[in-house]
Amino acid sequence: MGEFINFLGANLADFWTYTGFANATTGHVIMILVGLVFIYLAVAKEFEPMLLIPIGFGMLIGNIPFNMEAGLQVGIYEEGSVLNILYGGVKSGWYPPLIFLGIGAMTDFSALISNPKLLLIGAAAQFGIFGAYMIALAMGFDPMQAAAIGIIGGADGPTAIFLSSKLAPNLMGAIAVSAYSYMALVPVIQPPIMRLLTGKKERLIRMKAPRAVSHTEKVIFPIVGLLLTCFLVPSGLPLLGMLFFGNLLKESGVTRRLAETARGPLIDTITILLGITVGASTQASEFLTFDSVKIFALGALSFVIATASGVLFVKFFNLFLKKDNKINPLIGNSGVSAVPDSARISQVVGLEYDPTNYLLMHAMGPNVAGVIGSAVAAGILLGFLI
Amino acid sequence: MSVFLALTAVSCASGDGESKLLINEVLVKNVANFQDDYGQHSGWIEIFNKSYGSANIAGCYLKVSSQPGDTSSYFIPKGDVLTVIKPRQHTLFWADGMPNRGTFHINCVLDTINPNWIGLYDSGKKLLDSVTVPAGVLSADLSWARINDGSKEWEIKGTSDSKYVTPSTNNQTLDKNVKMDKFEEHDKNGFGMAISAMAVVFSGLVLLYILFKFIGKVSIALSKRKAMKVKGVTCEKEAKEKKLGEAQGEVIAAISMALHELQNGDHDYEETVLTITRVKRSYSPWSSKIYSLRETPNRR
Repeated sequence: MGEFINFLGANLADFWTYTGFANATTGHVIMILVGLVFIYLAVAKEFEPMLLIPIGFGMLIGNIPFNMEAGLQVGIYEEGSVLNILYGGVKSGWYPPLIFLGIGAMTDFSALISNPKLLLIGAAAQFGIFGAYMIALAMGFDPMQAAAIGIIGGADGPTAIFLSSKLAPNLMGAIAVSAYSYMALVPVIQPPIMRLLTGKKERLIRMKAPRAVSHTEKVIFPIVGLLLTCFLVPSGLPLLGMLFFGNLLKESGVTRRLAETARGPLIDTITILLGITVGASTQASEFLTFDSVKIFALGALSFVIATASGVLFVKFFNLFLKKDNKINPLIGNSGVSAVPDSARISQVVGLEYDPTNYLLMHAMGPNVAGVIGSAVAAGILLGFLI
Repeated sequence: MSVFLALTAVSCASGDGESKLLINEVLVKNVANFQDDYGQHSGWIEIFNKSYGSANIAGCYLKVSSQPGDTSSYFIPKGDVLTVIKPRQHTLFWADGMPNRGTFHINCVLDTINPNWIGLYDSGKKLLDSVTVPAGVLSADLSWARINDGSKEWEIKGTSDSKYVTPSTNNQTLDKNVKMDKFEEHDKNGFGMAISAMAVVFSGLVLLYILFKFIGKVSIALSKRKAMKVKGVTCEKEAKEKKLGEAQGEVIAAISMALHELQNGDHDYEETVLTITRVKRSYSPWSSKIYSLRETPNRR
């Protein structure tokens, strides 16, 4: 009998070594708290809930402590585990192009087509990427890592994941979480910079109403856009190809079912998988490093630089424009491609100064140009460094 | 179907007509170099898959000739998984004249005195690549190899520390990222990268801008012409006054109103899905009830 009780005791003691309680470290607790903060921000503050809920919950999943020596095949970094298989789409970079397919199928480029000079604002805001690249180099990262970190400034989660999976796979978790976190924090980061860099008179500029765009123009745009951008930067093909393909599905008018699938069930499925696996990839043992802290700091800086360069570029551009054709610099922030949040910020800040001046439709132009610009920038970085 | 079969049969050749399989390095006289699985030193021929996709070499022919009219031909057997060469990888064939030792042992030996011509043919016997290994220049354990994997220029390897014999691996060991090293050397602060990359981003989007500026002008002109035709206006001046072809003020007012309501939460809740689809009832015997229902059997 005593032997049996000893056996039971030993069995339970052995079981204890497998539990999360026995394997928990301070790192796990910290990451679980960060995950809870993400969920709180998503639920209570409605900051990008579609992203922060999956990422936040993914953080909880990824940071449940377990006996890593036991070969349970449950961790995201254990080959063959379910999470590892799902993470394959992030690691090999095929989730981001599918997300871009959906984005293309839900994006209306009319604002951009009606006023194509807004494309240049989307280009200017990409300076955030290269500003952060320079600072990252100064902080001791090598060029490939610096480029992967810099892309956070493109404010485009899928692009950041795609590029970091190619250039710095070991930093991908931190880069992805940083990119999505700052995208969610766009309403906090951008307005003070916009107010700081614009004068009262500039904020009141009323822009010309955009002209109506014909169906033919909308169909031509994705075709010409693809040919032009991808001939220039073929390395951006996976992202740009899918973006423009999705848009053609939408605008052609004859593939409604395909467009609806791309912008509905498909993008939702991929968003869930991407969010949960990116969140789970923040396993404390891999994620809690000084490099991650530096990446977060650089991510914030890149957003600030991108916003500032967009706003300043509009002010500079206005010097060359006729009086009745000026651009309100409050739409400069929307050159960063956090669609449609940064455009919404232009609208909200614009209304603070003139409740009858609606900037949303104008801001959507640079906003979608930012998507193209950041994908082009990612292609350039890939082309230059690989 | 026949085209498909032809395409699948020629697995060794790439689609663009240029071969993706190349003879990459040859060692004729092996005294103390790489050993095969039997512990023998034999001459070897290295094949390189220069593409970024796997290539199956099974069914191809390896031909060797050192005398005119005396060519031995080795058919690379099918059914061995090891004949699939991974992207940018190599495989080695032992020229020991012992094909019974396995797939990678060919049926001839390389001539150590005369030049050796080696040809790789696809299953359709189309020449994929060939090389003539010169005679008299290769002493024992030196190889005749492309300078880099797949490059056009050949050289003798094994003569110095920087030119080493590399069976089954890269002809130049890739121990650094050349592009990254260049950036680290010439662009330490990243300024060059920022300028050049921003120049490319801007030029791409400026091109798009110019093109759509032009397309926009054409489109406006066309819609104006269309509107003039519909309204029966022939005079350009009159069309301009009437703002034909431009979005009407009412449209912009409606958009602004909708935005205002959304912003202030004034919009009342209602069923947001409105579907107006024309009901099509085209007749087809396939959709006919008469044909899809069985008649009730009559009981007599």
